[in-house]
Amino acid sequence: MSSPSTADGDDEFTVGDAPARPYVESPIIMATVRIVAPFVFTLGAFVMFHGADSAGGGFQGGVIVGTVILMIAIAFGVGPTRDWLSSSFLTVLVVSGVALFMGIGLAAVAFGGAFLEYTAIPVSNASKYGIELVEVGIGIIVSGTVVGLFFALAAGHANDDAEGVEE
Amino acid sequence: MTPIEWAVLAFVLGCALATALLRDVLASIIAFAAYSLGIAVIWLVLRAPDVGLTEAAVGAGVTTVLFLLTIAKTVRPAGDDLFVDVDLTAVGVSGLLVAALASTLPALPPIGSASTPVATSRVTAYYLENAYPETGVKNAVTAVLAAYRGFDTLGEAVVVFAALIGLLVVLDRGVLA
Repeated sequence: MSSPSTADGDDEFTVGDAPARPYVESPIIMATVRIVAPFVFTLGAFVMFHGADSAGGGFQGGVIVGTVILMIAIAFGVGPTRDWLSSSFLTVLVVSGVALFMGIGLAAVAFGGAFLEYTAIPVSNASKYGIELVEVGIGIIVSGTVVGLFFALAAGHANDDAEGVEE
Repeated sequence: MTPIEWAVLAFVLGCALATALLRDVLASIIAFAAYSLGIAVIWLVLRAPDVGLTEAAVGAGVTTVLFLLTIAKTVRPAGDDLFVDVDLTAVGVSGLLVAALASTLPALPPIGSASTPVATSRVTAYYLENAYPETGVKNAVTAVLAAYRGFDTLGEAVVVFAALIGLLVVLDRGVLA
């Protein structure tokens, strides 16, 4: 069990009976996450890619994929997980999602159609593949944002660093 | 309404009350997660699986984790009371709001009714007839979302992106680390 952070300067800094530091190293949680994570990731990818033919889509699938990283961070600690996924990787990921969505819209313009007019792109089933790619773009944005929000909230305000809130 | 639907409604109502009344914020957050899960089931009952999936993933899943992260940085109020002291003025205002919203309920059509404006509208008929031939995807919701209203969806995706950027600005951090 981890002990409450002594660097807080506030001994009553507790939530319920839990210690101030949210991370508790537990072999049960780590083993469970290790087993469950690949399945959750697969479900998320399925929901993202299969949104065209069944319930789901980029928003829902992206959240489920993002949850995998949240699970890993809860099981193995926020700090190590954040180091494992470098912050520039996350930023590039989220920006590339927006770029993918806009790129498909602009590709249609480049082939002489209107913005996001998939059928203007000279590929067979352009509309279906265009929608799938857009869903993937949305999924990338959403999963990156969910993970980003998690890390940003876990890290707290920039001024907190001096008080040792960093995991 | 089937007994299962009544049970889910009662569950949701109970979770909502628990969220509002429990004094311990941790217990309140857990009650709120259960509430979101109940609402997700209600979306399924209302034949909206796409929305139900979102509610379960975002409402019950991610929001709960973000709330837990946030309260980990707060201080628990002193005292051992199970429930908060109820403010009668707040109860009155909430009651008035619920009454005002409930007055619109009789105007809603029954669940699954074939004669609702949504089901009989020309727009609905157009989407159901043309979504597959025109866009090539079988889920009409996705066809509307990503093809017919693709520009709106681009805006939504950028809103999500902007939320992340906004949080980084509020937290005064240039990067996620």
